Amino acid sequence: MLKRTMKTGRTLVAPLILLAPAISLAQVDTSDWTCESCPFEQGYRAEIDAGATNVSDEAARFGNYTGYDEDGAYADVDGHGSYVNDGYRLDWTVEDLGLDSRVVELSMGKQGVFEFRAGYRELPFRRFDTSSTIFSRAADGTLTLPAGWIPASTTNQMTQLGSSLQQRVVGTDRQIVDVGADWKPAEMFRLFADFRRQTRDGIDISSAGSYTQAAFLPRWVDHETDQVDAGVQYRSDAVSLTLAYYGSFFTNQNPSLTWETPFLTVPGATTLRAAREPDNDFSQISLAGKYRMAAGNTVVAFLVASGRGEQNADFVPYTINPDVVTTALPGTSLDAEVNTVNYSFTVTSRPISKLRVKYGYRYDERDNKTPISDWDRVIVDALSSGEIEQNVPYSYDRAHMTVSGEYAFTNKFRLAAGYEWKQINRDYQEVAEQTTELGWGQVRWRPTTWLDLRAKGGASRRGIDRYNETTAISLGQNPLMRKYNLAYRYREFGEVVAAISPAELPLSFSTSVLFADDDYQESLVGLNGAEEFRITADLSWAVSDNASIYLVYGQDKIDAHQTGAEQFGFWDWSAFHEDDFDHVGVGMSWRPTDGKFDFSLDYNRGNGETRIALDSLSGGPSSLPDLESTLDSANVKASYAFSERWSGTFHLRYERFELKDWALVSQTTLPTILTLGAQPYDYDVYAVGIGIRYRFGDGEITLAE
Amino acid sequence: MLTKMTARFAVLAVALAAIAIPAITHAQATDEGAELPDYSRKGADTCFQCHDDQATLAVFRTKHAMPQDPNSPFGHGQLQCEACHGPAGDHAGRVRRGQERPAILAFGSMSTTSIADQNAYCAACHDADTGFAWHGSAHDDNTVACSDCHTMHNERDPVLATSTQAEVCFDCHQQQRTQSMKPYAHPVRQGKMACTSCHSPHGDTTERLLAGSTVNGTCYDCHAELRGPYLWEHAPVTEDCNSCHNPHGSTQPGMLSMRAPMLCQSCHSQDGHPSVPQDAGGLASNIPSALLLGQSCLNCHDQVHGSNHPSGSKLMR
Repeated sequence: MLKRTMKTGRTLVAPLILLAPAISLAQVDTSDWTCESCPFEQGYRAEIDAGATNVSDEAARFGNYTGYDEDGAYADVDGHGSYVNDGYRLDWTVEDLGLDSRVVELSMGKQGVFEFRAGYRELPFRRFDTSSTIFSRAADGTLTLPAGWIPASTTNQMTQLGSSLQQRVVGTDRQIVDVGADWKPAEMFRLFADFRRQTRDGIDISSAGSYTQAAFLPRWVDHETDQVDAGVQYRSDAVSLTLAYYGSFFTNQNPSLTWETPFLTVPGATTLRAAREPDNDFSQISLAGKYRMAAGNTVVAFLVASGRGEQNADFVPYTINPDVVTTALPGTSLDAEVNTVNYSFTVTSRPISKLRVKYGYRYDERDNKTPISDWDRVIVDALSSGEIEQNVPYSYDRAHMTVSGEYAFTNKFRLAAGYEWKQINRDYQEVAEQTTELGWGQVRWRPTTWLDLRAKGGASRRGIDRYNETTAISLGQNPLMRKYNLAYRYREFGEVVAAISPAELPLSFSTSVLFADDDYQESLVGLNGAEEFRITADLSWAVSDNASIYLVYGQDKIDAHQTGAEQFGFWDWSAFHEDDFDHVGVGMSWRPTDGKFDFSLDYNRGNGETRIALDSLSGGPSSLPDLESTLDSANVKASYAFSERWSGTFHLRYERFELKDWALVSQTTLPTILTLGAQPYDYDVYAVGIGIRYRFGDGEITLAE
Repeated sequence: MLTKMTARFAVLAVALAAIAIPAITHAQATDEGAELPDYSRKGADTCFQCHDDQATLAVFRTKHAMPQDPNSPFGHGQLQCEACHGPAGDHAGRVRRGQERPAILAFGSMSTTSIADQNAYCAACHDADTGFAWHGSAHDDNTVACSDCHTMHNERDPVLATSTQAEVCFDCHQQQRTQSMKPYAHPVRQGKMACTSCHSPHGDTTERLLAGSTVNGTCYDCHAELRGPYLWEHAPVTEDCNSCHNPHGSTQPGMLSMRAPMLCQSCHSQDGHPSVPQDAGGLASNIPSALLLGQSCLNCHDQVHGSNHPSGSKLMR
């Protein structure tokens, strides 16, 4: 045993404790450390919940991501468990087995040597169940009109519209299967490989024009993406290196969409076709590493990655209208290629105990090597525009440098400051070079152990070499327009965070205030300015050892101001876009001392309001009706243990959601747009469930005799 | 203003300086003769004479307590409880009446040990597991303790489960909790998507600790259909999805940062319909405007993420 030379007292113990992580095990005599009383896990253990839930009403949005999209009864099965034997371990989890949001996860292996993992997860996306359409899907995928449909110029002239509408739920289901493994063939090496297949199918909305009209189409989705992550990691006390491969392979079983137009159109253009997402592949090799120097005083980290994306899906023809004459396509497919490069380098150092400095440099490049060709433009299968166009393969590179430092004047007071420089170079766009410089400072003050204050502020200026108006005009843009992602911008921002946790009280409170003010001073047309303001507050109270309460509040305000120009040469309208959102959450948990009863309650309310006001030379001042959303959500969970193994469970999920959105209109509101008629959300749904829980294996952990 | 070349030279200069200075200070700081700390007599058996509550013993249902794994704290020859809580010889020893028992290293908000020192204990074993960029990451800069997110004695660490992870992250990221409650958001509040689906909390060299190489690279992990490259690209789409979307949540459909057509008109001012203001006159109760209602600009220009149609230059096909 080591010499007992330490004196008692926290201040004297602490320094030597802190040496301990670096102490070699060989230096400590543990021959008497037999761990005789240690209750090591052995055998199986599991907990399974099985029950039924009744959902009061049908609401697509209530079922969005949860799976409770229809009224009626659902089977609920959840559980988790493990089996441990002689260093081998198996863990499994199941969630929501009876729902379209089910999850199954499994991992097994010999700890520290190898691990195999597998999972299956479903994610339902439910958008609308109030939507209806006249389209049916034929065997070849074409969206067809009802038999005997009489095309019309406007929706209100479609005499068969009302009788032909059929409800069509808009939503997709995502299934994710993943398998993976880790293997440590030697202490310093780890091999890993993961494969994931995501499929997404169902119905989404597409809208597609037919010359001067458009129709919302129920688009059948059938996507599949395979992803591979594999690599080898080397690790020692000072060095860690990871060489990895990432691959993504996307295939679309419906690469085009063909539909019969319900509108009167030019001869030959009764059936139209659009292309959809093409198959694509992406592969990337990366090498990442870090080197720890001088006992942790300095860490150097780097990343180098090189990737290639390819897209070579077959083209659809210029048009399926035999009456439109075109030239031959430049090729049967695009043979598109994008090369990516990412590298970064970071040095973090603490040359003296009170000073910490950091330097980082990062470079990202997207080099689009897609060949440029001449293309005919056929307007929605109706007629040729007579124009020849060239595709524009956009490329960019982006460099980002950061320097920062923090100095601890005392244990209670720290100052930090930083500088960032970012440059983006683009081709084929109005701005070729854009440089952003940002400076910030931060004060952190802990005047007492129960109060932590942090204030941060800074400013950035995004400058451009020049806004090329010639390029803008060639794109048909008003030369006064300054696209907001390319424009000159000056930004000021600040944030204050306070955390209070008095040791003598079972309370903790934290709050934050953030603002950001963007000024696009050189933009006569386009976004002129934007402000963001956020407040949060969290209060938690441990009422007793068995009960706690929390209260949270958040506010998020985003305002934007823009100008437009109906006539080139000057701006003649402006718009104010104000987006407010408030959130209040309250909850409690209670578990009496005997441990038999467990209860929790969470309630959240979210209010959103968007106000849009316009003022134009032609129309004068005008306000659009407020866009509003109100969410009330409550969750109650309770369980009671009848015995050591059996428990009864109860849960209640309540949600009320109301949306006011003037953009959601019926099929006949817009004369030239045939919508799906989806209505704003307005529902009030309860899901009440009861069940039983059974525990396999040991419950209480007792020390070995 | 720095040029890119200057910045690259600066990389080397700062790197050399950063390597040289600590190397000197380390040489001064290393003391081979430092006295070793005092460990307990019998390891965990000593600890359990007092600490035998269920919350403490729950560690035996975790991977930390696997005796057959030589790297586990309870592996053969390892330091058991003291592998994480530090040498406990004095803590476990006799104390005089009225004297405060010497503390051992504790984790959590009530700990008197600095966060850097708490984290050093975790890093002693998990340094490589945390990736290559913890040092200097936003979490490191803000002195986040491993135990702020992880609960080591729990059989199931909430931050490692998709369904419970966000609640852990929201303890600090309160603004993101507010955003997750907005009507159009990723399924985080439903517990069906984890923050780590997009972020690497242990550090990355990307902005915002993103899991992918870039913003778009992160989004393509689930939205691979949008990767392209398309024949007809929409320039801002190829560069940054955040140009139009608020991924933490929005009051606008599609997690858009602003309602269309205003969002589109922030960049598009072509003569004709793109530059016409869409006011209340275009509402359903007045003269319904196809440029305002429905999906606004997307009523026709549906393929805003790009088109692979030979005649799709206007992103309509």
